[in-house]
Formats: sequence, C-alpha cells, structure tokens
Amino acid sequence: MKRFSLKWPLIIVSSMLAFMIFVVPLYGASVFSFKGVGGKGHSWVNYQWLLHADGFYLNLFTSLKLAVLAGVLNLLLMVPTMVYLNLRGQKFKPLVDFLCILPLIIPVVSLAIGAQVAMPKILQNSQYELVFFFVIIALPYTYRALDTSLQTVALKTLVEASRSLGASWTRTITRVIVPAIRSGITGALFLTFALSIGEYTITSLLHWETFPTWTVVAAQQNILGAIAISVFSFVGAIVLLTAIALFSKKRVQRVEVEE
Amino acid sequence: MNTDKRASSTLELRDVSRNFGTVKALDGLDLTIEPGELVALLGPSGCGKTTALRIVAGLEVATAGELMVNGVRYNETPANARDMGMVFQSYSLFPNLNVAENIDYGLRARKIDSAKRSKRVNEMLELVALESKAKAYPHQLSGGQQQRVALARALAIEPRVLLLDEPLSALDAQVRGQIREEIRRIQLELGITTLFVTHDQEEAMAIADRVGVMNHGKLEQIDKPITLYNSPATPFVASFVGQANRIPAEITAKGKARVLNQKVAISSTAGDFSEGMRVNVIIRPEALEIVSETDSDATRGIVALKSFLGPMTKVGIAVEGAPLIHLNIASRDVRKIEIGDKIAFKISSDEVMAERV
Repeated sequence: MKRFSLKWPLIIVSSMLAFMIFVVPLYGASVFSFKGVGGKGHSWVNYQWLLHADGFYLNLFTSLKLAVLAGVLNLLLMVPTMVYLNLRGQKFKPLVDFLCILPLIIPVVSLAIGAQVAMPKILQNSQYELVFFFVIIALPYTYRALDTSLQTVALKTLVEASRSLGASWTRTITRVIVPAIRSGITGALFLTFALSIGEYTITSLLHWETFPTWTVVAAQQNILGAIAISVFSFVGAIVLLTAIALFSKKRVQRVEVEE
Repeated sequence: MNTDKRASSTLELRDVSRNFGTVKALDGLDLTIEPGELVALLGPSGCGKTTALRIVAGLEVATAGELMVNGVRYNETPANARDMGMVFQSYSLFPNLNVAENIDYGLRARKIDSAKRSKRVNEMLELVALESKAKAYPHQLSGGQQQRVALARALAIEPRVLLLDEPLSALDAQVRGQIREEIRRIQLELGITTLFVTHDQEEAMAIADRVGVMNHGKLEQIDKPITLYNSPATPFVASFVGQANRIPAEITAKGKARVLNQKVAISSTAGDFSEGMRVNVIIRPEALEIVSETDSDATRGIVALKSFLGPMTKVGIAVEGAPLIHLNIASRDVRKIEIGDKIAFKISSDEVMAERV
C-alpha cells in the first residue's frame, strides 16, 4: 500500500499561509496606495505627496547613511572577532556569545538611556551615536550569521595555506576568509541594514529623527500617503538588499591563462 | 617547459621539542635533509611527525631547539616569510578562486608582475597536466586533480623546501598511486628539498630517499627504505615497518635465543639480554620458509588461515605456545596448502630483532 505523504499538504498549507500573511496585505496596501484623492480612482498622487513631503529626502538619507555606517562598523568589528574566536580564541567564545545575546535580554529603554550616558560627550550630541546602538542591537544576529558561516569552511587550513604561500594577515582575511564566508557576511550586512533602517524605539527615545520616526509623524497627515510610505519602504528595502547581494557576489580577481 | 629551479636548500632540525601542556609532542628531534633530498617521516598517529612538519612551516612554534635552512636560523621567521611550499591532506584550495587563481595566489602575495605570474601559472599547469582545467573551480575537480593543483600552488612560489602533510590520505587507492608517482617525478625534476609526512609505510618507502620512523615524539631510526626494512634499529621500527611476527623466545647465550625450538642469532642493535631472559623475537613473514615435514629442525603447526593477496598469499600457522604465525608464500605455490593441514617451517633469517617482554 502506498504510504500517505504529508509533503504536498504541508507545502500547500504553508504557501496559503504565506500568501495570506505576506502577499494579501501587501497587495491590499499597494492597491490602497494608488487610490486617488478621496479614495477614488487610481493615481500616483500619494507617491507624489510622499516625494514632496517635508523631510522625506533628508530623513531617508539620514537613515540610509546610518544603516550603511552601522553595517560597515558591525562587519569591521565582528569579522576579525569571529575569525579570531574560531581560529585561536575558542575559550572566549561562550563569553562573546553571551555578550552578543545581551541586546535581546536588556530592555531597549535601559539600553538606550544607559548606554547613551556611557558614551563620550561628542557622540551624545551627534546622530552618529545611533550607529553604535544599531550595531549593538544587530549583534545577536550578526554573531550567529558569521559563526555559522565560519563553521562551514575549513578556516584553519585555509588560513595556514594562505600564510604558507606568503600572504600577510590582511591579505589572508580579505582574499581568503571574507570570500569564503561571503554568505555569512552578506547575511550579517542584510540584518544590520534592515534592523538599522527600520529602528524606531531607540531613535525616538533619544529624540533623533530618522526615516522611521519621520514616517510616524508624516502618516498622521495623510492616511493613504502613510500606506504609500509602507509600500515604498518595503519595495525600497528589497531593491537595496538585492543590490547588496548582487554587489557582494561580484568577483574582482582575475589571472590571464593561455587558452 | 621552463621550471626555474631555486637552488636546493638544506633543512636542519637541531634538538627540536614541542610541548602541549604536559604532553611532549616532539622530544629532541634531530634531522638534516640534504639539498634535493626527499625524506619521509613515518609513524603512528600522535608520534609527532605532523608537529615537526608544522614547526618547519612556521605554523607551530618549537618549545626548544633550532630550525635552520641553509645554515640560517628560521625559528623567529613568520610562516609567510619562510618560502616553504606546503601541501595539506585536505587540499585546502581556496574555494572562491579557480585553478589558475589558486596557483597565482602565492605569486600575487609576492607582488610579482603580471606577465611573470601568468608565465609561471602556465608552467605549473603544464607541470601537473591540468592546462585544460585552468578556469575550473575546486568543487568542479576530482580529489586527485585538487591535490595536483595544491602541489602546483605550493611549487609556483619556488619554495626553499616542499612540505607534504599526508597529501595522499584523502585519495582512493588507485589515484593515490598515480599522485605518489607524480610527486616523486616532479620532486626529482625540480630537485627540491622535500619533507613528506605520512602514516602509510608503503607510501614512505616508495618515494622517499630516506625514511625516518618516529614514535612518542622521537626519531627512532632514519635510513634508506631498504636498510630500514632489513636492519631495523629498534623493535618498534621492526614491528612498524613491514609485517612482523612477535614470538616468545628465551635467551640461551649472549646474542643467541631459542624460539619455536629453533636457534636464532639476535641483532646486536637489539640491546643486551642476559641468559635465561624471556624475550619476544620479531621475525618478518618472508624470513620463515616452508620445509619438508621430515626436517627434524623444523617447527610444526597447523594451517589456520589463508588470505589471498594477489601475487602472495598470507598463511597463518597455529603453533602450540605461540601466537598465530604468519608467512607470505607465493600464490602459485600455495594451492596445495589447505586450512587444517599439518605444516613444517624454519626461520631462514641470519639474525632477528628482540625486545624485552
């Protein structure tokens, strides 16, 4: 007798759930965002409002800038740290693992207020302090993305091969380790970027203005415009992340070989 | 093909030790490898052979002793400044680079100009017969091809010394034989000083000029393969290299023993044993020969095992008061011997190795 397989029913049910949870609201939001004045007809009026709204470009640029800086800072901090932990610092791994989980445990209010007080004055008065907060809240995710990636490659022998061929540590990290864990780095960058660009609570608590805090204020003026902001943010995020993914796959090194 | 030779180097390890906590992985190793020579370090797992190779490569730091290349101390020289080409057991090709880029890696690190690098890469591809795979990525190659790329990559930088860390262990038997011959051909062609680490005695004996047998961090003996096999310096070497029977015996006089009711001479390198002492003598299977049952000096037993090994057949003989004794007999002569048959044999070796019980 043929065994009953749960494979296809599960695929169908999960597809339906995904459709209901993600596609239907997005489709609905998209339809609403194209409603004309007074909710009649279809037009670009809500997107035109969005593009001409006060502070749109300024705050969008601020958020993108902070997210890029947070992504870069996070990688500069975490890639060498994780490589060290996996190569020579195994005994410190549980400690770093614990430290990286803390942002999930500590309430955001305590983190925002407490950490701000500990920051140098020059940063307390600058919106760039948010970069450090974004790095902190992304730590639990970047730690795991990089660690998983590092464990899938034979890190020790690759490093030893590179060193024995005469490469410096910088060359070994940039030419061997980073390409070998590219998927982990891209993942870490995605997560930091996504968390940073959508971060609202800390920014609001510290009285800074970024794209998420601006949208809350702007949305109160135009309900259909608010939906246009949501759709714009979603599509924008997908475009940006796809661009990062494509860019990170670009290969740079070539050598001429006789055919 | 122009494979520019760098002047071959002399490699010396002087009283080199390496401790890991309380464990002595390497205990006063003295080893000199002459220019262009291929020396294999052979030994069981944990004997310190890989530690020795890693110290030479600069991947481990010696606790004591000196590492010299052409008379210059190398202990403090970092791995990336040693000019040692290393081939790893697990290939360790860079997965993001294709074959040509892998070979080019060390040349690029040395900031050699593009035209010279390109020429060198092509020479190396030709040397390992992988010209058609220049643009393939490691995952698109077989294990044997990957190891040939690893060899080409290590040789591309014209290293002072070539270090081979069990390079054939991950390959299947047929490919292992091919790559083994290829390594030896290339090593002889380039005349490069080579240190080869393996736990496979057949591999070591087949390609090395000299084989060093290691045990518990010490070099027990280093010699030409044939000397090592025929005149082992210690019981460990005798039992580790080649097959050997360990048979209980009694010392009857200085340098003499009685084993299986036969008289044998004990090798002078085995040490001093007093009369009446119980020892184990180590006898190779080919040092035992089947004789007529009427021979009064022969030892008698019953055939308990027969394993066909191609040209030779291994025969196990059960003898009272001794462990199963193994003989190697040409397969064409073994047809008439069956399990359960009574059989007589004699020790044909001039002298045997002995160890205390």
